[in-house]
Amino acid sequence: MAVAPNPRRATRPSGVPRVPLRILTAVPVCDGHDSAVTTINIELARHGIEVIYLGYHQSVSAIARAAVQEDVNVVGLSSYNGGHIIFFKEVADQLRRSGNGDIPLFGGGGGTITKADERIMRRQGTDRIFFAGTPLKDIMAVIQRDYARTAKPGVKFKGDRTLARAITLAEQDLAPRRPPRAAPVRPRGRAFVVGIAGPGGAGKSTLIDELTSRFLRQSPAGRIAILANDPSHPGTGGAILGDRVSAIYAQDDRVFFRSLATRSSLTGLSAAAPAAIEILRQSGEFDLILVESVGVGQESDPFGSFGRARRLTDAVLFVLAPHYGGLIQLQKIALLNGADLVALNKCDHPMARTAQAEIQARLNQNGRGQVLHSTTAARHFDPGVDALFAAIQALGSTRGRTGGAR
Amino acid sequence: MSQLGKIADSVDQYNRFVSAEVARARSDRKFAAELRARWAALRASVAMTRSPTGTPLPRLALPDTDEPGAIAEYLFGQGFPGQFPYATAAYREMYLDHETGTGEEPMRLFAGLGLAEDTNARFRYLSRHQKSLRLSTAFDGPTLYGLDSDHAGVLGKVGEGGVAIDTVEDMGRLFAGFDLTRKDASVSMTMNAPAPVILAMFIAAAKRRFGAGCVANLRGTIQADMLKEVQAQNEVIFPVDASLRFLCDMIEWCVPNMPRWYPVSISGYHIAEAGATPVQQAAFTLSNGFTYAGLLQARGADINAFGPRLSFFLDCGLDVEYLVLGRVCRRIWAIGLRDVFGAGPKAQILKLHTQTSGRSLIAAEFQNNLTRTAVELMLAYMNYTNSCHSNSADEPFTTPTEKYALLASHGQSILLEESGLFRHTMNLFGGAPGLLALERQVEQRILGVFREMDTLGGVIAAMEQRYQRSQIQESGHRIETQIYSGERPVIGLNKYVSDEPMPSVPLARTSPKKQRLQVERLRAFKRRHAKTAPAALQRLANVARGGGNVFAELVDTVEVCSLGQITACLTDVVGKFRPMV
Repeated sequence: MAVAPNPRRATRPSGVPRVPLRILTAVPVCDGHDSAVTTINIELARHGIEVIYLGYHQSVSAIARAAVQEDVNVVGLSSYNGGHIIFFKEVADQLRRSGNGDIPLFGGGGGTITKADERIMRRQGTDRIFFAGTPLKDIMAVIQRDYARTAKPGVKFKGDRTLARAITLAEQDLAPRRPPRAAPVRPRGRAFVVGIAGPGGAGKSTLIDELTSRFLRQSPAGRIAILANDPSHPGTGGAILGDRVSAIYAQDDRVFFRSLATRSSLTGLSAAAPAAIEILRQSGEFDLILVESVGVGQESDPFGSFGRARRLTDAVLFVLAPHYGGLIQLQKIALLNGADLVALNKCDHPMARTAQAEIQARLNQNGRGQVLHSTTAARHFDPGVDALFAAIQALGSTRGRTGGAR
Repeated sequence: MSQLGKIADSVDQYNRFVSAEVARARSDRKFAAELRARWAALRASVAMTRSPTGTPLPRLALPDTDEPGAIAEYLFGQGFPGQFPYATAAYREMYLDHETGTGEEPMRLFAGLGLAEDTNARFRYLSRHQKSLRLSTAFDGPTLYGLDSDHAGVLGKVGEGGVAIDTVEDMGRLFAGFDLTRKDASVSMTMNAPAPVILAMFIAAAKRRFGAGCVANLRGTIQADMLKEVQAQNEVIFPVDASLRFLCDMIEWCVPNMPRWYPVSISGYHIAEAGATPVQQAAFTLSNGFTYAGLLQARGADINAFGPRLSFFLDCGLDVEYLVLGRVCRRIWAIGLRDVFGAGPKAQILKLHTQTSGRSLIAAEFQNNLTRTAVELMLAYMNYTNSCHSNSADEPFTTPTEKYALLASHGQSILLEESGLFRHTMNLFGGAPGLLALERQVEQRILGVFREMDTLGGVIAAMEQRYQRSQIQESGHRIETQIYSGERPVIGLNKYVSDEPMPSVPLARTSPKKQRLQVERLRAFKRRHAKTAPAALQRLANVARGGGNVFAELVDTVEVCSLGQITACLTDVVGKFRPMV
């Protein structure tokens, strides 16, 4: 893997703050017009902003939930097929009612949102509307000028926002990055923490979402947390964090989903990930915590499987797809030794049968009794994912954690 | 090799065949004589007419030549109108005489707003001047996503941008007073993911009014193009394999039961609106069409039975490629269907609906949109589209108001009935050197996209790799960048901008009172059928689980169940679509 330049030293457009802004963007319910929002997302990231993109056809509650869990500076909605006056009001109301009225809301809708609409929407809690023809650079300047502020440390929040805020502070170096290694904090709470690593394109995000659906179905009251790490752009420091788009089962109050940009870290995780894991673990809220690394290379060890220090997670799941490039490449993947669970995803691919045999042989060399799970996460109700989820639960119970059933 | 590679090769092979025939016409005396005789007979079959100012004109313009090579080039390369490879036109006379009431009327005006009775009133207003009945329906967001009007959080969207349809009773109100069994009636519905449910409601509502025997007489089109939804338009409910299965179920039911109905309209419109270039629009649309043909053949359906029931829908914008896009698409489709799918003549004809570009319209100095749409209409009719919708100038900011919808309609009447461009002579433009040069370039670029998708494993495999989406997005960003840099002039936006403020214009919006009325109607329907709905849904779920034809069951389910109830039932069985970024 090429060594990326430190984004904090890289040249950025002037005025980009040291701590990136976090913006949630989305398109309202029953609206699939995502052309404008994808252009805006790219432009925001180019300006050093971390964009958490939720996708199109998003409900009021999904937007409010994501804004809270991601602890964003501001929410931006792109609406093209009408009903914006009511929709924007409901988002603002829901944020305010849940004690998160400090998160402002802006929007745009080409010509569909008129000046008269804007006056009503501003009265009803929308901060600003960008009209058709506003140059992108003007939009960026306004966002950077007006939405850089965040709540001051010490402000009290409720519910998931408390956790989200704590993670933000950890990201901003205002809280300890990592508990001291010499004296590990004895983990409290019952959460079983699973780190999930694998090469980019193996289908980790889809697999995690399918595991989430199994958890929700089998545990009628428990909560699950997901920490999704995604790379920052090495030049601009911005990022498009798009894991929520395909996380269709994360739209549930029992799921806490947080996207983390890696910022300057090159370990496969955000430098704040260890602190974030501890925050979630110690909250006592969760039965299962899944930590997704960025796509990793052959030597990567994002969860500390090999070092002397305490491992970051209780277990590690390594996910790969049939295109790993042959036996020799397989030998070089360190995490195949370190992982507790290994899954071959995309098993509907014609190369999967060869891959199954090769990977199982590779695991047998380790002499650890590692079993290969064959999954096709893109297929709904895949029995391979069912079996993998059962294996995670079983592993959790042998390690004295609940991992699911409550 | 997926079929796309074979199709690209078959077009190249056909082009070599044309060249060989041209050479043979010039070297083989017997063949040359045959061609001359055939040409003379064709020319003799063309009647003469006169313009209103007395100029004599042939009803069909043909190249003025007796040279056998040129004759071969025209007959094999372009095709006599209504003959393979159909570059000139799908039928011989197209719009001639339509103003006198004997020809086919191509105008379709897409409308939908508020509740069913509001759209019904708009249909009456728009069809006042039309001789035949042309009802083209736009649906609101909740209906497009298969949700009921009382679904949490959608109230503001009810009746916005299209009509709210929750039940078979709404469908009855939508077409009340129109005789849908008339021979010249044609209904079209822009509806995709829930298309099987909506068409089932349409059939059920028609049966209630005209009796069970009416179904075979119903004529029209439902869009139902799920591939382009996944690639561009984003109105997807079920996973891709389930979406395609429900579509194929519907097509297979319609082919024998509704011989005048087009159960799919393979659409490039939304692909282009999302930013695709004209070449990408054509390549993705045609390749989607070939994919549907392949899926249906794989299920055992007969290409000559279902092939004639496939229809197409393209966007027409202002880029120069739109001069020839329809012509090129008809030619590639015909060659592919004949030479790769083994289809007969009726299945080879690409039936084309065109809509002027919504993306090309802007809010600033919006009256310029009348001119943009007029130019696009001209391009669409030069391609001999079978039917056409013209956008209203006020669309950048509202569902069309009556005034601008009527102006859009009159735009088409001026072009087809008032101007002499299309009334007297068929094929005034075909064969022009510029058109031929463009056709060759555009065709080759489309085949290039086919070959690229072929290496990715075909349309569905490419889609899973986000190929079409990323190509469309990239082109969309390029357009935006070109507009911002001024490289792509948009009058009133980045060139010749006036300082005049936007005039205050009326908007068509649905009042909260009406939105609540729709919810009350839906709830009353659900109460009335509370006892029978669960069993109907259970039967539907069983068919869906057991692999039977879901559409055949839906025709009964809609009698007692709402759209949202049915969507929820099917989602339980097949799961939800997972979107791609």
